Amino acid sequence: MADETTATEPARTPEARGENAPPCVDATAVSRATRLELLRLCLLQRAIEDRTMNLYRQGRISGSYYTGRGQEAVGAAAGLALGPDDVVAPLNRELACHLARGVEVAHVFRIFLGRETGPTRGRDGNMHFGVPECGIFPLVSMLGDLCPVTVGAALAFKRRNEARVALTFWGDGGMCTGDVHEGLNLAGVLHVPAVFVIQNNHYAYSTPTEREMVNTDIASRITGGWSIPCERVDGTDALATYACVSAAVERARADEGPQAVEAVSLRIHGHAAHDDARYVPAELRADYEARDPILRLTERLRLDGVDEDTLQDLTEGVTNAVAEGLAEAESAPDPDPATLEDGVYAMPVQGAERT
Amino acid sequence: MSTVTYLDAIRVALADAMRDDERVFMLGEDIGHFGGPFGVTKGLSDEFGTDRVIDTPISEEGFVGAALGAAWMGERPIVELQFADFISTCFDPIVTVAAKTHWRSGIRFPVVIRAPFGGGVRGGPFHASCPEGWFVGTAGLKVVAAGTVEDAYGLLRSAVEDDDPVIYFEHKGLYRRLKGEQPAATTRTPIGRAAIAQSGTDATVVTYGAGVDLALRASGTLNDSIEIVNLRTLWPLDEPAILKSIEKTSRVLVLQEAARSIGAAGHVLSLVARHAFEVLDAPPALHAPVDTPVPFAPELEDAYLPSVDSTAAALRDLLEY
Ligand SMILES: Cc1ncc(C[n+]2csc(CCOP(=O)(O)OP(=O)(O)O)c2C)c(N)n1
Repeated sequence: MADETTATEPARTPEARGENAPPCVDATAVSRATRLELLRLCLLQRAIEDRTMNLYRQGRISGSYYTGRGQEAVGAAAGLALGPDDVVAPLNRELACHLARGVEVAHVFRIFLGRETGPTRGRDGNMHFGVPECGIFPLVSMLGDLCPVTVGAALAFKRRNEARVALTFWGDGGMCTGDVHEGLNLAGVLHVPAVFVIQNNHYAYSTPTEREMVNTDIASRITGGWSIPCERVDGTDALATYACVSAAVERARADEGPQAVEAVSLRIHGHAAHDDARYVPAELRADYEARDPILRLTERLRLDGVDEDTLQDLTEGVTNAVAEGLAEAESAPDPDPATLEDGVYAMPVQGAERT
Repeated sequence: MSTVTYLDAIRVALADAMRDDERVFMLGEDIGHFGGPFGVTKGLSDEFGTDRVIDTPISEEGFVGAALGAAWMGERPIVELQFADFISTCFDPIVTVAAKTHWRSGIRFPVVIRAPFGGGVRGGPFHASCPEGWFVGTAGLKVVAAGTVEDAYGLLRSAVEDDDPVIYFEHKGLYRRLKGEQPAATTRTPIGRAAIAQSGTDATVVTYGAGVDLALRASGTLNDSIEIVNLRTLWPLDEPAILKSIEKTSRVLVLQEAARSIGAAGHVLSLVARHAFEVLDAPPALHAPVDTPVPFAPELEDAYLPSVDSTAAALRDLLEY
């Protein structure tokens, strides 16, 4: 079992993994179209990440590479729970959130490949990007930083009386930073429409949650400590997560103040490509492998009566989208070193030429 | 024309900026009804309301980050730190988020961070520092420091209208000591441009903040003709203005209140070494405190800070070389 799940495993289809996964809860408020879209987004994140991991191993991607395997449902759910005018600041594990906001597959590959026409023009790689046109703030590596930024975006909405919401994510590790405390506290005091989704995936790099905090019940800490309503949800269940985050987003929109969700899952891959996650006990991993969010949602859709052809079409569509997106990104130009200093300032100081 | 203090000029600039642009609002500790620890924001919450002059918890990292998020959404926040020393607690949102985001993504951060700096007020190691050197040289940030009443107003107005993050260092020792005519509401001090505070031919003093007044007074005790370059913007440096003055005088003293190995001096001296070598008649000189934190006891602080006498002595040494 364990050797199948190391970071070197090849992409596998849900079918190859048997059909015994426990189905997602039948969250009745979630329409069939949304269910199918959640599955498409999860499949797309996984297919892009599997493809990219291969590219990385082939030496075609520089730097490092991070995936969100096992956590796809959370980013997908939050991405779909937001409205078109809402904004979001995702982290490493939430590629599906970008995709839900309309970021093109080719654009994702352009950042991984460091292309001129990618979201950062080659200035940054990995998941370190945002797409401002899609209301997505670019990831900043320093964990915790995005919490106050999100609170500030929500403050702008509140000041202008706009029914918009700002959402961000962090992990159990990020939960321990000072910025998260300051951001949560500020959000509460200012009563802003911010939503915080905590991805509790049991580990911060190699450190288990029990070594990061004494009280590991993050939801009750946020509810009790910062007076921000926070529900704990099974992050491998796309429908439960979607229902939970949607409700939080709508409460925030209705001026009920900041809201939070703790989504519990397990990062099935290592922290990044170099990490085989051998610190994760085999039973824990096996437990979560059996609750793969894609398998669980697929099972739910089968119970809903969605036929195999439809599911097959979805998978094929994703496979094609990845192939096309990658081909498009690969043909994109490399960045020109002559442009390196462009954009350091929005309003460059005129005439004070640097020497 | 009425006479105002440096502090009044800052307050009027804040009020004028908020009156002119709905998007401008303020975040900081005790800045509302209380008016801030130095009274800079006194009365502003009466005119603009506590929704625009927002008292925050003690969370510098939180509210600087929040200012950036609001700016992302098109607002133009002004953040007040109670003392510039506390900028260390919000270093990360400044040097990571504020400085790097436009280059990476094109998102603009029209945010002003007001940082009351400087000594002479017996503030000691935590309330009298000049931490500008941590930011001078950081791509993506603009760093300004006013040394005159006019610039206190004009630099702040320009900073608020700038689309980049600007750290505005205001000198606590000048707050009530420096007086001048109330600058007109149209006054803008261009960011990135130094000014000649006094023209002269025998030597150049390059300085900023409280150093401007100090240099003026020190040069008044000498018979020589001293040119004073008031940097106003510490980053990006106005390199042509510095070099132009030194080409004229062939001698340069860099004067700053920050400890000698930090602040803006190193950058100025590097520029001089690289580009003014051939016009110099004397080695470029530096007058700045020793490399220690700012001391508290009057005897120690007075010995630490450049004074009129010590600055005049440094100039004499330079002129006699
Ligand atoms: C402030 C900070 N310290 C250290 C790191 C290096 N780092 C990147 S991710 C990570 C682990 C994060 O764990 P968690 O927040 O639980 O998120 P996960 O990686 O599990 O998704 C660490 C230590 C960082 N990015 N930021």
